Amino acid sequence: MNPIKFLEPTNFTEAISLLDQHADDAKIIAGGVSVTLMLQQKLIAPSALISLGHISNYAFIRHEKDGLHIGALTKLRDIERSDVVKKFCPALAYTFSVVANVRVRNQATIGGNLSAADYAADPPAMLTALDARVQVQGAEKNREIHLSEFFLGFYTTALEPNEILTEVIIPTLPSSASAAYHKYTSISAEGRPCVAVGAVADFDNDRKCSDLRIAVGAAVETPQRVRDAETLAHGSTLTDELVAAIADEYSLRLDPLTDVRGSAWYRKEMIRVFVKRALEEVRCDR
Amino acid sequence: MIGESVPMLDSVARVMGTVDYMINLRLPKMLFGKIVRSQAPHAKSLKVDVTNAMRIPGVVAILTGEDLGANAFYGVAIKDQGVVAVDRVRYVGEPIAAIAAESLDAAEQAAVLIDIEYHELPAVFDAQDAIQAGAPNLHEKFPNNIFKHAKLRHGDMDAAFAEADEIFEDTFTSPVAQQASLEPHVSAAQWDGEHLTIWTASQAPFMVRKSLSEIFGIAPEAVRVIVPSLGGGYGGKGHIRIEPLVAAMARKTNGRPVKFVLSRAEEFVTVTKHAASITLKTGVKRDGTFTARQATLYWNGGAYADASPMLVPAGMVRAVGPYRIPAVHVDSYGVYTNLPPAGAYRGAMSSQTTWAYESQMDIIARKMGWDPFEFRMKNLFVSGEHFATGEELHDVHFVECLEVSAKGLGVPSPLTPLPKGEGQGMRVGRGYGVMMKSTVATSKSQARLKLKDDGTVTLYTSTVEMGQGGHTTMAQITAETLGVPLRAIKIIGPDTAITPFDSTTSASRSTSMMGNAVIAACGTMKKKLFELGSPLLETPVDGLRTENGFVVADEISISFGDILKRNDLNTVEESGEYSTSFGIDPETGQGVATPHWHQGAGAAEVEVDTETGRITILKYSAAAFAGRVVNPRMAQLQNDGNVIFGLGPTLMEEIVYDGGQPINPNLADYSIPSIRDIPAELISICIESGEGEMHGIGEMTLPPVAPAIANAIEDAVGVRIKDLPITAEKILRALREKSQR
Amino acid sequence: MILNVNGSRHEVEAGTRTLLEVLRDDLGLVGAKEGCGIGMCGACTVLVDGKPISGCLTLAEQVPGKEILTIESLEKNGQLHPVQQAFIDERAFQCAYCTPGFILSAVALLNENPNPSEDDIREYLSGNLCRCGSYQNILKAVVEAGKRLR
Repeated sequence: MNPIKFLEPTNFTEAISLLDQHADDAKIIAGGVSVTLMLQQKLIAPSALISLGHISNYAFIRHEKDGLHIGALTKLRDIERSDVVKKFCPALAYTFSVVANVRVRNQATIGGNLSAADYAADPPAMLTALDARVQVQGAEKNREIHLSEFFLGFYTTALEPNEILTEVIIPTLPSSASAAYHKYTSISAEGRPCVAVGAVADFDNDRKCSDLRIAVGAAVETPQRVRDAETLAHGSTLTDELVAAIADEYSLRLDPLTDVRGSAWYRKEMIRVFVKRALEEVRCDR
Repeated sequence: MIGESVPMLDSVARVMGTVDYMINLRLPKMLFGKIVRSQAPHAKSLKVDVTNAMRIPGVVAILTGEDLGANAFYGVAIKDQGVVAVDRVRYVGEPIAAIAAESLDAAEQAAVLIDIEYHELPAVFDAQDAIQAGAPNLHEKFPNNIFKHAKLRHGDMDAAFAEADEIFEDTFTSPVAQQASLEPHVSAAQWDGEHLTIWTASQAPFMVRKSLSEIFGIAPEAVRVIVPSLGGGYGGKGHIRIEPLVAAMARKTNGRPVKFVLSRAEEFVTVTKHAASITLKTGVKRDGTFTARQATLYWNGGAYADASPMLVPAGMVRAVGPYRIPAVHVDSYGVYTNLPPAGAYRGAMSSQTTWAYESQMDIIARKMGWDPFEFRMKNLFVSGEHFATGEELHDVHFVECLEVSAKGLGVPSPLTPLPKGEGQGMRVGRGYGVMMKSTVATSKSQARLKLKDDGTVTLYTSTVEMGQGGHTTMAQITAETLGVPLRAIKIIGPDTAITPFDSTTSASRSTSMMGNAVIAACGTMKKKLFELGSPLLETPVDGLRTENGFVVADEISISFGDILKRNDLNTVEESGEYSTSFGIDPETGQGVATPHWHQGAGAAEVEVDTETGRITILKYSAAAFAGRVVNPRMAQLQNDGNVIFGLGPTLMEEIVYDGGQPINPNLADYSIPSIRDIPAELISICIESGEGEMHGIGEMTLPPVAPAIANAIEDAVGVRIKDLPITAEKILRALREKSQR
Repeated sequence: MILNVNGSRHEVEAGTRTLLEVLRDDLGLVGAKEGCGIGMCGACTVLVDGKPISGCLTLAEQVPGKEILTIESLEKNGQLHPVQQAFIDERAFQCAYCTPGFILSAVALLNENPNPSEDDIREYLSGNLCRCGSYQNILKAVVEAGKRLR
């Protein structure tokens, strides 16, 4: 068996040309959490690992005019602790603070976390609710993908084999908006989420909801929004009745999966509970 | 020394990471082992072709069923398990072949090249399915798959049930779980001619020795078993595990040692906790006394009997409970299924049985209008009463255990009403559990002391140090009994070539059994020192005592070392032994089940989120009867540990199978308690008695955890969960069913 | 490839082995151990540039040029680190297989946050598992070590 080459490009262009050279046979490694796991469990046997560890300038968090920009190589722990993120959206910092454990957060990058497309993860639901998009660099061109179109299925994204996620952009929230993230662990507190709910709501001067986005993750293959349920809120005060109606609609419309953390039946119930609780939190904020 | 909270002897090594766990063992010319396992739950006509695998550079030898002799079957009582599979496989994960190679990489490359063919057979995974007519049969000698039926017959059941005003019948289940010590099973073996040395992370070195000597047809003395400190055992390293395979592999490597380290996934197919289904039929009178109990227990033993022929009868005795019940019948069945063999799991069999009888206690109390606490107090055994085996109970402290644990919740009285939960849909409840557990009825411990002329004392003991502090405890007992400072004591063992016999480090027996052997050895050593010292001190033997390494007369003393020197001795060695020989009649279960009874209780206060079913344990208070505590802080730590460990099977632990294939054999999908899962308030107390008999405390506060929590849940929200683990989903389902009624 | 471990430079041939494998097999630093192999249990915790990571989920190739600290670095001139001493004083271990990981995590926590609340400690250490169930005393030990270090 040939040893696996460990390649260390110093920029994304070089990384992509290395990907092209190795066709389907190379694997990108950023923080290393998921790639090392797959290597150790012999789920992958690439001819080369293309490490992004020597690419500088992509571990950044910047609040720009159009929103928050986070470089793909930023560690989850740095996002969690960033004052810029906390100021931009406390719920986003909180979301990153509840991912796995402190060791994983010290190691894992936001680009790696999203590209792994693990359904039982925390950031995808919150970022989807925040209407985030990702910058992607390819051999020929760069493109932007809305997170709502990024996750295609279990461990599958819209990235082409020779594309790399380079940056995440989260549009600035109006000052009248608020966000919440609810992670529900059903077994051990230390487990992965059974249900993840990210919610963002904006309110007009009469405390009526002008915009609402709720994304449910971990219970479904990819983060899901139910637009019909969201629009129920538009122009209305988030009363208990309305909150319950939206939560019911989410529960009814989503088709959750079954795993060791809960059956589809239970997850439908928990989607109702945690959509409700997330809405109560964003409502309460105002 | 006894009663002092000295730190563990090797504390510094423990915080520096230098403990000599098996995983660190490296031997000259050592090879690396890898096991190839069955993917099928049940198959026959097994054919294994190693031709391609042998071509991998670095592969030294491959072990298959063809290498095995007729004796290559083992088991504690029923020798049904092959060292590797021969012709037939009976569970997913069963070893089919093993590889020894120069590197783990080479062994792993070869593993995937071993060609395996077999003809799949229908399989059965549930014990009650396995005993049905027409179910797949695992072993021809046991056509109904029942390999053990233990019976207890005490009293006239028909008459006793006729006397009852109410009869309750409930079934409680526990799933397959895994001990999950952080250190996996690790063993290394080396042959020198017909002599075998095996280094292994085992709780039972002498069982390993006996078993290996039988398998390989050599004298027990030709097998040397060396056991370093363990990174946790919890029963999972009891009895015989991977040692036969490792030794058989090493037999093919021309004298080179070979070491096997199991992966986490392999742990899940190596040993498990018995799944159990327990039905209790209990007769009660309106005055709150019992008339009769019929207990029917089905233990899922997995594909091989392993230690179950011993554990199934133990489970029978442990199923009765600590209450006065005039007539008791128990039928305890050990059943083969196509799952990995089951073994002891901390609180062995008692966890499953206490779950049943303590859950039913609350069902009965609530139905008959008794407060569950008072109902228990009214019926708990006291010393001098007779158990269902007919034996008289001595040094019994169940009432005290329950009272102390209830008090630990910090309420004026167990009858004080609880406040409702804080927040919408939150409800608070309180519950109790009491347990009564036997230890090993017949077992033996030996200890040997070597005193040197420099005054140091070496204790040779086969008690395994697995985190319980067994070696520190033995050193304290030695220091106290012999009258030497703790720092003069060194502990060696277990190493069957140099340390004397001990049955096993399990069933919370060591402090009591080995402790008494050490006391006996100290006694003979003292006697010897008095004899040697008497002329030197010009004092008769009965005027002497020991203190701090000296033999002391009225006004004069001499150090142990000087006594030896003055007698021209370099060393003096003395031994001690302690054994118990009890037992019950196999047909009636009558006799003496245990030298003493393990006693423990717990009280829980939980909060239930009625929207999610998720519970939070607000407070947990545990009490264990310890007799005489050797090291209070370590005893308390172990008691705490029992409760925390017990939260696992109570709330989260279950191996989930799909067609016999475990789907969650990793610590992400099989959760064990984390620091965020423990009760906000946890206290544990050891109860001592004036009589001074030392009891083990390794398990006592564990079995009450599950029923105490289930009982607290019913107190909070009125639903009864009968199937472990108590997940949020089960609670929510039960709440929904209740609201629909 | 050069690794900077416990203040010394080590030349190693890592291939695609994990940092944990290289530390244990090549450098003989056996305090870190594999427990779960998937980053859940923390028995393999080591500090990289002061931050705890899972040695089992890090390739050695990822860490040249970084400062790697293992449990073996804490004791200096026969003097235990205050966190190690507090673990002994509070009886914060039983089988101790997990202990080096807990201690390194606690050292990193106390560097980051010298005065953590009990909740902070629970949060930070929640990814270190102790099957013996010594958590209560571990909490006490970290609180005590914090006091001694302040």
